[in-house]
Amino acid sequence: MNALEVKNLKKTFQSKDTRTALIVEALKGVSFEIKHGEIFGLLGPNGAGKTTLINSITTLEQPTSGDVFVFGESVLKNPQFTKKQIGVVHQEVINTGFFDVDEILHFQSGFYGIKNNHERIDYLLAKLSLAAHKHKKVKQLSGGMKRRLMIAKALVHSPRLLLLDEPTAGVDVELRESLWKFVLELKNSGVSILLTTHYLEEAEKLCDRVGIINKGQLVYVGQPTEVISKYSTKKINVRTNDGKTYSFIDSAAKPIQEILKEHKISFSDVADIRIEEGKLEEAFTKMVNL
Amino acid sequence: MIPFLTLIQREISRFFKVIIQTVLSPILNSFLYLLIFGVSLGSSIQMGSGNNYLAFLIPGLVVMGLINNAFQNSSSSIITSKFSGDIEDIRVAPITHSQIVWAMGIGGVFRGSLVGLITFIVGEIFYYVQNGELLSIAHPFLMLFFTLTGGFIFSFCGIFVAFIAKTFDQLSAFTSFILLPLTYLGGVFISTDNLNPFFKALSHANPLFYLINGFRYSVLGHSDVEILVAIITTLVATVVTFFMARFALLRGSYSRW
Repeated sequence: MNALEVKNLKKTFQSKDTRTALIVEALKGVSFEIKHGEIFGLLGPNGAGKTTLINSITTLEQPTSGDVFVFGESVLKNPQFTKKQIGVVHQEVINTGFFDVDEILHFQSGFYGIKNNHERIDYLLAKLSLAAHKHKKVKQLSGGMKRRLMIAKALVHSPRLLLLDEPTAGVDVELRESLWKFVLELKNSGVSILLTTHYLEEAEKLCDRVGIINKGQLVYVGQPTEVISKYSTKKINVRTNDGKTYSFIDSAAKPIQEILKEHKISFSDVADIRIEEGKLEEAFTKMVNL
Repeated sequence: MIPFLTLIQREISRFFKVIIQTVLSPILNSFLYLLIFGVSLGSSIQMGSGNNYLAFLIPGLVVMGLINNAFQNSSSSIITSKFSGDIEDIRVAPITHSQIVWAMGIGGVFRGSLVGLITFIVGEIFYYVQNGELLSIAHPFLMLFFTLTGGFIFSFCGIFVAFIAKTFDQLSAFTSFILLPLTYLGGVFISTDNLNPFFKALSHANPLFYLINGFRYSVLGHSDVEILVAIITTLVATVVTFFMARFALLRGSYSRW
């Protein structure tokens, strides 16, 4: 059974801007699935429909048509079941003013039907380096700590599907690395993850598959390496036995031998060869501009 | 049941965190009203029913404290959540809309009843000092009925307005232009018997008039309305406002301010 199945999801909004069209199509029939234990990256420029998609899964938005299935159950027909399976880290940082970190996590546990969740909360606080701050109010936390608190909140009920809406936006390099490590740990413990991100390096490092969304449409789904080889280029620097150097840029998918043959260089003449692999970023830029 | 109880606990804990603003300040207001209107001016006001003005004023102030604080509790909770952005936590959690409405309603009733109870105790002290005896409660069960229905009606109104409101202005417009005039014209400070026929008829169209006078009846044993009419009106208002609050949860805005 798939962890998540999005089927022909459409969402239209009434535009608030009277100068533009009255109806804005945020999602134009998006379909994909996330397998159990998989990290799926959703990439797309601002306004592509990533957050609308996440909101449709969590029921914050009602889709215009189509449906979403979480572990086989429809979010429209059985939201009480699907909500329990999902943990979500929203894009914007929250600033709850009344309660401290520990209280927030206990209330959050209660919302998911768990009483006395001390053990899990203490584990998450330790794991996310928040244990020393458990009695602080949110406004006393730094930006990075607030992000980690949001992740802890999403995990208090041990969800089977985790939705991360740009979890590392505005986060320093060190914290980003530690969050990546934690996300991989979650994956290894069997959690399925949907990750939206602007950081292509993040998608490349973490995701088993990526989907590229642009203007409300999913334009590509595949493994990051597959996307790179199809849509990016690689740079090949060759030094031959006679001391000459050559530099070629060609499709990442094309075999080296073929490239050398095209440039009339025999493989036996090659003294040294360096290949700079294409980046997902390049493929992504190419795809959203198609 | 745990999500529902947790939300009630959160709603009550929230106002205890800011108790000066949520409980002590309304009680000080009531104390000042009792001192100025009840004791100082009240001695020169003669009530047609034979009661002194302080006895008339105390139930009115209790209801005013009850409904204002019930309204404030649910609406402030939602509005502050809209500011902080954690309103979405409730929406994405496995809590039904009815559970949210009832839990926030109970939170409002709890705060409103607490303010109302303390206002009543302060009123009793004033009454004892003035009359040498305590003001007795004629119908305690009716008092409980009007406390619960009044609290729920205004908690539900608070949920409705806070979810529907898109700006802080819209929320304060409801408080200033609807809630406040209805409260003052509903008979907190005055008996409608003293009004001219036009305003008397107009006040009978105010649902708060039935709540305030129903509660007054429960304390004094008499008021400006038929008690059965007051009971039916408040029951209908409770049902109507419950569905208004549910509607607001379905159609209202969860977006961050």
